[in-house]
Amino acid sequence: MNFIKRGFLGITRKKGKSLILLAVIFILGNLISGAISIQQATGNVESTIKERLGTAATIDIDYDEWEAKPDTDVEEINVDLIKEIGNLSYVKYYDYSMSTWMGSESVERYQDEEMDGDYFVDGPSMDFRLKGINYAPVIDFEEGKAELTDGRVFTDDEIEKGTSVTIISHKLANENNLHVGDTFTLANEVYTYDEETGEEDFVTSRDVVLEIIGLFEPQEAKKETDENADSGMMILTDDMEYHNTVYVPNEIVIDESQFNWEEYMKADEEFAEMMEGEEESFEYYEPIYYLNNPEDIEAFTEEVKPLLPELYTVISASDQYENIAGPIESMSKLAKYVLIVAVIATVLITGLVVLLFLRDRKRELGIYLSLGEKRSRVVGQILIEVMVVAVVGITLSLFSGNLLAQQVSDTMMKADDNKDEYYEEYYYEGISTDLTADDVMDSYEVTLNSSYILGFYGVGLVTILISTIIPLIYIVRLNPKKILM
Amino acid sequence: MILEAKDLNYYYQDGEQRRYILKDTSISFEKGKFYTILGQSGSGKTTLLSLLSALDSPHSGEILFNEEDIKKIGYEKYRRNNVGIIFQSYNLVPTFTAVENVLVPMSITENEIPEDTKTVAYNLLDYIGIVKNKADRLVNRLSGGEQQRVAIARALATNVELILADEPTGNLDEEMEQEIIDIFKRLAHEHGKCVIVVTHSNEIALQSDQAFRLRKGVLSAYE
Ligand SMILES: Nc1ncnc2c1ncn2[C@@H]1O[C@H](COP(=O)(O)OP(=O)(O)O)[C@@H](O)[C@H]1O
Ligand SMILES: [Mg+2]
Repeated sequence: MNFIKRGFLGITRKKGKSLILLAVIFILGNLISGAISIQQATGNVESTIKERLGTAATIDIDYDEWEAKPDTDVEEINVDLIKEIGNLSYVKYYDYSMSTWMGSESVERYQDEEMDGDYFVDGPSMDFRLKGINYAPVIDFEEGKAELTDGRVFTDDEIEKGTSVTIISHKLANENNLHVGDTFTLANEVYTYDEETGEEDFVTSRDVVLEIIGLFEPQEAKKETDENADSGMMILTDDMEYHNTVYVPNEIVIDESQFNWEEYMKADEEFAEMMEGEEESFEYYEPIYYLNNPEDIEAFTEEVKPLLPELYTVISASDQYENIAGPIESMSKLAKYVLIVAVIATVLITGLVVLLFLRDRKRELGIYLSLGEKRSRVVGQILIEVMVVAVVGITLSLFSGNLLAQQVSDTMMKADDNKDEYYEEYYYEGISTDLTADDVMDSYEVTLNSSYILGFYGVGLVTILISTIIPLIYIVRLNPKKILM
Repeated sequence: MILEAKDLNYYYQDGEQRRYILKDTSISFEKGKFYTILGQSGSGKTTLLSLLSALDSPHSGEILFNEEDIKKIGYEKYRRNNVGIIFQSYNLVPTFTAVENVLVPMSITENEIPEDTKTVAYNLLDYIGIVKNKADRLVNRLSGGEQQRVAIARALATNVELILADEPTGNLDEEMEQEIIDIFKRLAHEHGKCVIVVTHSNEIALQSDQAFRLRKGVLSAYE
């Protein structure tokens, strides 16, 4: 009849009390397990969505803040700062890019069959986007936005010297019967613009002759066309834009911009006078950083912020999570509060119930003590009694609480579906996403997985253990003489 | 000398004053004898017994068990291995059967007891007058006299030589009282135990080998 056996007898000989305790733990356990289920599901959503959003970040002016302080002098971000940030330990790799647009006499832009001619605008043809590169292996390829299907990427030497080489899209090459090793001639045309008439006059032009060193194919990410017609169209243009993008070293973009600027100054004397004395830099880069881990973004932001000039801020892909995950976030918050309240309620209620039951058994416990039983074993006996019942109650509520969470979150999501929310956002290449709140909802799933099971047993059992502290103090303070004599 | 109390003092603080229940009380007991301590209600009998059974400690003085201070043995250990206590109100575990109640101290004590504890428990109960089918009953389905027998069996279960009883027949009728007293006599005379019974009954005191009277905190021999 040792304390372990006494513990089990304590459960079976007092079935009514054991059932009451079981019911209390089961009911409160449902709240805890439901809250943990929802927390886990929302946590999974956060990590999968953030994973899909990627680790990209850039720095740019915080336009909201600029609006608030319009008189601030805005400094430009210089290359040294871009590099300094790029050398932080969180950064996997980074690039900075300068872009310009040009037309060509000899090469036709790639045009999707589904697109009508209405894409064309009047004025000088600016069919191709020259995207400057500083990171020779091309970050878009490394990140899987596109794949190199033929030829090679840039060398560091080419990037540094601004060698006239380019990587163009496979489709564009096919359209124009171009191959690796061929040349691609673009025209850097200079026009003046008359503000009164809106007319543009051709000034001069120079050829930009690039050797094709590689071909790329954009990744077919946009396979599921959205039911929404507008965004479907958007994706299509995006896609076509990419086929007409040509990668070149940054130096080429700078050179050509400078030529264009200088020729323009020559043609428009009024404007040249106005600009006299102004130091003009042609270097304006958009940096992009890829971090090692999505979780690093906060630490990265912390470290970068002090380095930035006034008004600048870090913009990261995962920033968008807050916008698209509204309903999930509010559910997560609610679940967190329910969890906290349920844990506190469990500690108090279970503690009280156990204490009441123990007071009823004061004499029995006094008897054990009078027989010389160690207090630790009396405590052990009560712990066994409570924990065995708790394990049963928690195991039952493990399943029912999970089911409950599924029902509750289904209802909440349906309620949220009606609210159509629209977010106005600046667009950042490589960072902005087409993920929507629907994607977030779709990735939400309450499951009965092992981390939930472990998590719930952990929280549940620790909560019950804490709830026995006060009753156990009661046992430790029992005085057998007072009880028995 | 199996048990010896030396200069015990025990008091309650009554405002500024100390109200002594036991004052410089000394007493000693031998094995094989049946002792009674006689006193009126409120004379301090229970107090004395609680000290001898290490359920409470005196403000000064010492209690020696086989020449060793029970404080040194450790109160809990002393209760576990050296003494069997019987209470006026039986104090059995109501959710256990008679035999289960007897088994409880057997799992607590460090004394050597036969391995087949269940048989020992049944035999003990039988010897005290509880037959098998009553031994398997929950104790609250037994009469007062039967319950006190179970309590005696429990006190004997750990094979101790010292039995302390606080008004063990206080709740029983006369016939039952005599049967219990006979058991105590047998334990002392046939089994060599030291049995100390605290009582307010002259009849019981007259049957003991040696009786003491407790009055106003002072112990004296009772003739
Ligand atoms: N907690 C207490 N505070 C003050 N006095 C007490 C307390 N407990 C008992 N007493 C007193 O101590 C005296 C002895 O009590 P007790 O040993 O129980 O006597 P007995 O068992 O002989 O009836 C009694 O007069 C009682 O009133
Ligand atoms: Mg008394």
